[in-house]
Amino acid sequence: MAIGRSVPVRDAEARVRGAVAYLADLRLPGMLTAKIVRSPFPHARIRHLDPRPALRIPGVVAILTAEDFNRPGAPRLFYGVDRKDQPVVARDRVRYVGEPVAAIAAETPEAAEEAAQAIEVEYEELPAVFDPLTAAKPEAPRVHEDCPGNVFLHTRLRHGDLEAGFAAADLIVEETYTTPPACHAALEPHGVIAQWADGRLTVWSATQAPFVVQETLAELFGLPREAVRVIVPPLGGGYGGKGYVRLEPLTAVLAWKVGGRPVRLILERSEEFVTLTRHAAWIRIRTGVRRDGTLTARQVEVYWGAGAYADITPRLLRSAGLVRVVGPYRIPAVHVDAYGVYTNLPPAGPFRGTMSFEGAWAYESHMDTIAHALGMDPLELRRRNLLRPGDRFCTGEVIEEAFFWECLEAAARHVGWDQPYEKGEGMRRRGRGLAVMMKSTLPRSRSECRLVLRADGVLELHTGTVEMGQGAHTALAQIAAAETEIPLERVQVIGPDTAQVPYDATTSASRATSMMGAAIREAAARLKEEMRRRAAPLLEVDPEELILQGAGVTLRGRPEVWIAWEEVLRRHGLEALEAHGVFETQGGLDPETGQGIASPHWHQGAGACEVEVDIETGKVRILRYCAAAYAGRVINPALATLQNEGNMVFGLGQALMEQIFFDQGQPLNANMSDYQIPSLRDLPEVLESVLLESPEGSIHGLGEMTLPPVAPAIANAIFDAVGVRIRDLPITPEKIWRALHGE
Amino acid sequence: MANRERFALHVNGQIHVVEAEPTRRLLDVLRADLGLTSVREGCGIGVCGACTVLMGGRPVSSCLLLVSQVHHQEIVTVEGLGGNGVLHPVQQAFIEHFAFQCAYCTPGFILSTVAMLEKEPDLDEQVLGEYLSGNLCRCGSYLHILKAVRTVARGRQHGFS
Repeated sequence: MAIGRSVPVRDAEARVRGAVAYLADLRLPGMLTAKIVRSPFPHARIRHLDPRPALRIPGVVAILTAEDFNRPGAPRLFYGVDRKDQPVVARDRVRYVGEPVAAIAAETPEAAEEAAQAIEVEYEELPAVFDPLTAAKPEAPRVHEDCPGNVFLHTRLRHGDLEAGFAAADLIVEETYTTPPACHAALEPHGVIAQWADGRLTVWSATQAPFVVQETLAELFGLPREAVRVIVPPLGGGYGGKGYVRLEPLTAVLAWKVGGRPVRLILERSEEFVTLTRHAAWIRIRTGVRRDGTLTARQVEVYWGAGAYADITPRLLRSAGLVRVVGPYRIPAVHVDAYGVYTNLPPAGPFRGTMSFEGAWAYESHMDTIAHALGMDPLELRRRNLLRPGDRFCTGEVIEEAFFWECLEAAARHVGWDQPYEKGEGMRRRGRGLAVMMKSTLPRSRSECRLVLRADGVLELHTGTVEMGQGAHTALAQIAAAETEIPLERVQVIGPDTAQVPYDATTSASRATSMMGAAIREAAARLKEEMRRRAAPLLEVDPEELILQGAGVTLRGRPEVWIAWEEVLRRHGLEALEAHGVFETQGGLDPETGQGIASPHWHQGAGACEVEVDIETGKVRILRYCAAAYAGRVINPALATLQNEGNMVFGLGQALMEQIFFDQGQPLNANMSDYQIPSLRDLPEVLESVLLESPEGSIHGLGEMTLPPVAPAIANAIFDAVGVRIRDLPITPEKIWRALHGE
Repeated sequence: MANRERFALHVNGQIHVVEAEPTRRLLDVLRADLGLTSVREGCGIGVCGACTVLMGGRPVSSCLLLVSQVHHQEIVTVEGLGGNGVLHPVQQAFIEHFAFQCAYCTPGFILSTVAMLEKEPDLDEQVLGEYLSGNLCRCGSYLHILKAVRTVARGRQHGFS
């Protein structure tokens, strides 16, 4: 059986030989180098932009500015997956430091660099605003003229009688938590190659969303979708940062200006910090609770700092930005107000654990504050309130697969929660903490695939799922092999290439294995049916009596009767048999009440840890951490464990280290020396991964579940150790030290 | 192009004469001129380790070296490990222990490990930390990398080189 086995990833040997061709390794004849000229100001009018001095530099082929969009037959200037508020290059006005104002295509990187320096731009600075709370005030400077108060969207969730809920409480606790912008910091930077030929556009992009890129580019140029082809090489990490549309419009329009030669844009590391960030979030959470620990009401107000352009934020706010900030608890009355706010910072977007990370930071730290106020064990407080199978969530959905308690209990057990421990007396104090989280996946999306059974014995899986290190192509091949009963070695994965594979929404929100897996199951069922239908007359039996097995078709109960599929195809004069599979989920929330379907299933994860705090320096050492996720049916245990450990390590960086520092909109640490990510030396001394499996359960993604609990679990352990509550991420030694010293 | 000079690089056992400005980065020479794309740019400032190569058996960041500094030096990239279609034991161990996800960092980790195993008779946590904390894995596969490294180290004690 191909499912449930730890088979190595399909191109493992190429990966250890360094032979995987990422975007930067692709070479096309005549390829030009692109370079972006970026705004040095967070908010300014462009008074004058003159590219002519740069055009005289030898090797410069084309320079793109907003002027080019005025030409007849020019593409549209504005794009955006939800609202079209973002220009390909700035016209008249720049809204964040790093916003593209021009782009150069040149024969060499040196010429492109020289040209970038030579372009003359004059700016007139405008008042700017950076944090979402200030930006949302009516008198704040406007990031977009047509959006006073900078709130471009306000969504609401209304469940139960809030007033009655708070009236029924013995205690009401209110706190405010914040998270800063952070950088995905994939080791592979963003990269795009674009080339035009005969009015058709081909784009190679390190993207998690080839079909969204295709749709956006087709719309930008006024072309039918088929005229735009998007090919995705393996990604050197994504984590949401390569989701949706990033640099493809700029590169494609620059290539359009160039004419036929391919244009390649690869970002420098510093540019990664102004391309897409995590949202800056400000979360006020207020909870009513009875003395016995029963939650009676919760009110959450969230300001999501979206940066200068809305990007994916409106879509997120209609569901994720509401339901991911509540917590997996039975609460009779819940109100959430989520605000999408423009600021003069780079755009914010999907980020591994999107909005669940920020949500869990607030609600799980808050749960410990409540437990402390009640004098109750934090695990016990959660046990009394966690959603159980059949409970109703605040969206009105009944949660059938609910294993929050099991995850949390497993994590707690691994750190010896019920065992006494030495809290320490001198400079080093120990503490324990835990956290649990609930995350939705996309409420409404579609995945399609094609299975092609070839006469030479190979089964091709055509899929738009992007391989970015999570092992999706391996797991999907395992599903295809298991469902068709064809040996795994004979399964070949083709794609993503929009010209070759059918539609898929995106590779994000931990949806690939689950959604694409379901599409494969459907395609496999159709393929088997078709195979039986074709083989039946050859064996002179009814199709129902046949089963597909190994490399052929056999008769139920009579294994000696067997016919190779090559033979079936040959006798029908076929080169291949094809089957299409579609899996689609429906849902969505009412925009006024947040009631409806937020997710086809729920991601569930927990973490527990023991930490040591040095009270002299504020430094935290994680002695032990256990990350437990509900995994449903596991396809590849080794890859699943890697995902789970990856969540923990990624989360550790978010919890303790990572923040892009902006000073008046200028990024101060846009390099990997000043913006540090976890190395091997930052690991907990003991790190354990627990996957709760349910062979009868559905297939779940695992790329995010245990990430959001990391920060609150650590913060809770720090509180337990030294009585200090940190409410603003990241938890740096300085913040702990200051809190310990009453600052 | 002004100031181009000829440099002799010993890369993976072969001598390559390249014409380049003396300030050209070794990383660019290896990738663009010699087509050794296992050497990858991550941070460009010697922090992430994705561009690690061995110079005289020592792991170095090729983004911080200029071609003029490596004239006549012995350079090894992952393309130069193993041979005749056979993987180096470190590469083999990385596969067996699932020691990567996106694998952008993998060649760097493998080279740092190879250098460590050749130079260090005793692998304690201190040595492991020193050699491998200069390579970053954003996917967070560290535990599996450590398993792979320790397995090869044990194998080395039992006799293979």
